[in-house]
Amino acid sequence: MILIVAEHSNGKLRKSALELAQAGRELARELDVEPVGLILGSGVQECASELARYLPRVRVVDDPALADIRADTWTTAITELAKDLPARVVFLSASRTGLSVGPRVAVRLGAPLLEDVTSLEVDGDSLAATRLAYLARVTERVRAGSLPAVVSVKPNVYALPAASETGSVEAAEISFGERDLRVTVGEKRKPAGGSVALEEASVVVSGGRGLGGAEGFATLVEPLAGLLGAGIAATRAVVDAGWRPYAEQVGQTGKTVAPELYLALGVSGAVQHLSGMNRSKVVVAINKDGDAPIFKAADYGIVGDVHKIVPELTEALREGKG
Amino acid sequence: MKIVAILKQVPDAEARLRDGADGVDLGGVTFVIDGMDEYGVEEALRLREGGADGEIVALALGPRRYEEAIRTALAMGVDRAIHVETDENLDPISQARVLASVIDGEGADLVFVGGKQADWDSSALGPAVAEALGWPHSDWTTRVEVRGGTLSVTHDADEGTEDLELPLPAVVTTQQGLNEPRYPTLPNIMKAKRKELRKSSLADAGGAEPFTRLLGQSLELRERRNVILTGDPSEAARELVRRLRDEAKVLAK
Amino acid sequence: MIDFSLSDEQKQIRSLARQFAREVIAPQAARFDREESFPEEITARAAELGLLNVGIPGSAGGLGLSMIDEVVIGEELAWGCMGIYSILMASELGVTPILIGGNAEQHERFLGRLSRGGGLAAFALSEPDNGSDAAAMKTRADFDGDDVVLNGTKMWITNGGIADLTVVFATYAPEERHRGVVAVVVEKGAAGLSHQKIYGKLGQRAAHTAELVFDGVRVPRANVLGEPGDGFRIAMRTLDRTRIPVAAGSVGVARRALDEATSYAGERHAFGQPIFDFQAIQFKLADMKIGIETARLQTWYAAWLVDSGLPHTEASAIAKTYASDIAFDAANEALHVHGGYGYVDEYPVAKLLRDVKLNQIYEGTNEIQRVVIARGLRNR
Repeated sequence: MILIVAEHSNGKLRKSALELAQAGRELARELDVEPVGLILGSGVQECASELARYLPRVRVVDDPALADIRADTWTTAITELAKDLPARVVFLSASRTGLSVGPRVAVRLGAPLLEDVTSLEVDGDSLAATRLAYLARVTERVRAGSLPAVVSVKPNVYALPAASETGSVEAAEISFGERDLRVTVGEKRKPAGGSVALEEASVVVSGGRGLGGAEGFATLVEPLAGLLGAGIAATRAVVDAGWRPYAEQVGQTGKTVAPELYLALGVSGAVQHLSGMNRSKVVVAINKDGDAPIFKAADYGIVGDVHKIVPELTEALREGKG
Repeated sequence: MKIVAILKQVPDAEARLRDGADGVDLGGVTFVIDGMDEYGVEEALRLREGGADGEIVALALGPRRYEEAIRTALAMGVDRAIHVETDENLDPISQARVLASVIDGEGADLVFVGGKQADWDSSALGPAVAEALGWPHSDWTTRVEVRGGTLSVTHDADEGTEDLELPLPAVVTTQQGLNEPRYPTLPNIMKAKRKELRKSSLADAGGAEPFTRLLGQSLELRERRNVILTGDPSEAARELVRRLRDEAKVLAK
Repeated sequence: MIDFSLSDEQKQIRSLARQFAREVIAPQAARFDREESFPEEITARAAELGLLNVGIPGSAGGLGLSMIDEVVIGEELAWGCMGIYSILMASELGVTPILIGGNAEQHERFLGRLSRGGGLAAFALSEPDNGSDAAAMKTRADFDGDDVVLNGTKMWITNGGIADLTVVFATYAPEERHRGVVAVVVEKGAAGLSHQKIYGKLGQRAAHTAELVFDGVRVPRANVLGEPGDGFRIAMRTLDRTRIPVAAGSVGVARRALDEATSYAGERHAFGQPIFDFQAIQFKLADMKIGIETARLQTWYAAWLVDSGLPHTEASAIAKTYASDIAFDAANEALHVHGGYGYVDEYPVAKLLRDVKLNQIYEGTNEIQRVVIARGLRNR
């Protein structure tokens, strides 16, 4: 069986969880096994029901101990259920949570880890995956030595599945020990600004030093992102200058995004930044310096002043004119 | 308190990579200490400067060339180093087992490791080492405070930042924002020569079996359209919207 | 035995200097050039890291780096900004005569102070009316009891007036020409010492260059390096050595020129292809590379002679002349590769050309170097 660990937020499945269900369904068909969804949390029956529209079978651990996401509790719950099924593959999203929990599950199961993969296929009696390396400048193929294996899947790679199932939801009990509860979660702070999770956004509007200051984000980036339902991103220079929070930084030392559309406004395109966004499907660059490296990494470019072009672009999008 | 800082040596971000016969050709590439790991070295030094007694040990698992990265850490102020020298290409899970056995032998209380490695684009090493040791971990950490036997941190989660309290011993993965790593000063570079750099082998650590195998690598080339749109701002903007909708099909009609 | 490899430690030193040049010097170089202001924070930072006055020996509290170490560092720092490197280089130039001519007490008193306090040194030889013909100097040194009294004007002095210590060359017997020269250490703030910063330089505008005026400046005789009459020899031996860092700095500038030209040639398109693909551009880049590699070899060779205690006058003259000439050409060609953009200050190449012109002039013009080289031929 395949165990699919679906993440959720505010009582709803995350987009990456649906993509994961799709990835799991595809692989389950190839391996001719059943895909089983897993929901971990507290008060998460609705999420489990939602997941059952995409998968034939869903297990849910609804426990106050899971109210906060903690690597220790998640590792224990996933490992025990994986053993119980038994799962040949454990699927996680390559979100911060999935990247944190996946390696622990792999070590505890004594299983190989295929991390942050962009494609996956059956290879003999095991799995082979494609993933990125060297700051996303290299694609590599990696084979898991044996099954079971733990796989984390990069967001925005798999399509969303059709809600074609009426699966069953079964409760599961995990008894957490003292060790699972040793970490205490304190205050949580949501990022200011973009309400869309950056790694999952299908459109990202990104700003560089060419915006001239924090007000450039307020007057140019935020309205455009709001209109497109886009995530907001920034370059390192912008974050270093204190115009935007670190959570929005894309690049080597920040997040990696691969949306359908990446709009780079006043971004010069240093290699460190490109490594965080060069998997985007379509890239648009607007910059006054026609020789900026970003244009080489762009599908469409406009050479000119962002302060003049972006308001026009926002207006054109709002009107839906072409 | 004994602190271990795990190090990797990776190609400089500016380095030009080439396709080679067996994957990426790293010949002629400049290697540097992974910037993500430098935050860990710096944090260890700051904890000590802030009054935490004890030793800081750099630990690296990799080929001989890693010595340069280790020397950098020694020159930054780390007390001594252990280099498990191997040319084997081990995945992070098998690396974690080796590193955990060395850390266990050292009796460390706190381990720092970079949040994401610039060669494999992997963030698995920290959590995997923690699991192999049976310790808790904090990933993507931007603040670290030691309060007695407890570690108080701030880290990035999927939906913003959160504070955690972890009992020691623990593993912390580091990232930008935690601190500003110092330069190794010239006098410290000279002193580093006399610091202990202990060599060890995989066999000393009980051996290692890889869990995954690399089948191939190729440079990620993505063809871009490279269309430059001209005209006044309004015309160019409208043309862009048209192309995004009709040509690239990333906007709904 | 020939060995061109650097030790692990030298590689560490190089990567420190490279990182410092890339992250600290280069991003601010244009501003100091434009403002003609002194980059005090950068030199203070360099001092903290140990990149200032690296030649001071361990016995005087310094690091006692070799000349090879110094040129490895120099190439990297000059890549960031030749003008800023000149500040550090000129300090080394001020330290060297004390190293060569000073006694143990002077090493401790002067060099010990520099290595502990991180101050700059300066070297004052040229005058308004003479540069290459140093023996024709007019600045007077008169012995008066336990003091030496200085009167006159020194010109083009890098760090002049802001240095903690300045080694001044003056004549006490003009008719004796070079045999009548004394080298004496003057401390900052000495009564009668004043300076005038020189504005409007073509390049190396971050470096503080000044006219120094000595109006009855009185210093103790204990500040005289060697014996009176040793001054000229100390100056020449100093320059034989310190020309090598000028060569190293030139290699650094040439390397920067090549880096800038290569990256621009890869980005700039003409006739449907990157201009890198045109042979006319490739030949320019290849010539720059040839110049850089050969100039570095000669620079390292001259440095190795110094470290080996072997005669190095000719080798350092060749290194300085050749490296500064190829660097000037490299900057000139890099500017040309940039076309119109090379001619404005938005790109760093125009500054490279303005900066590196001085490398052909200071610490002995390239013409004087050729005279030195030719003199060796005649004597054979």
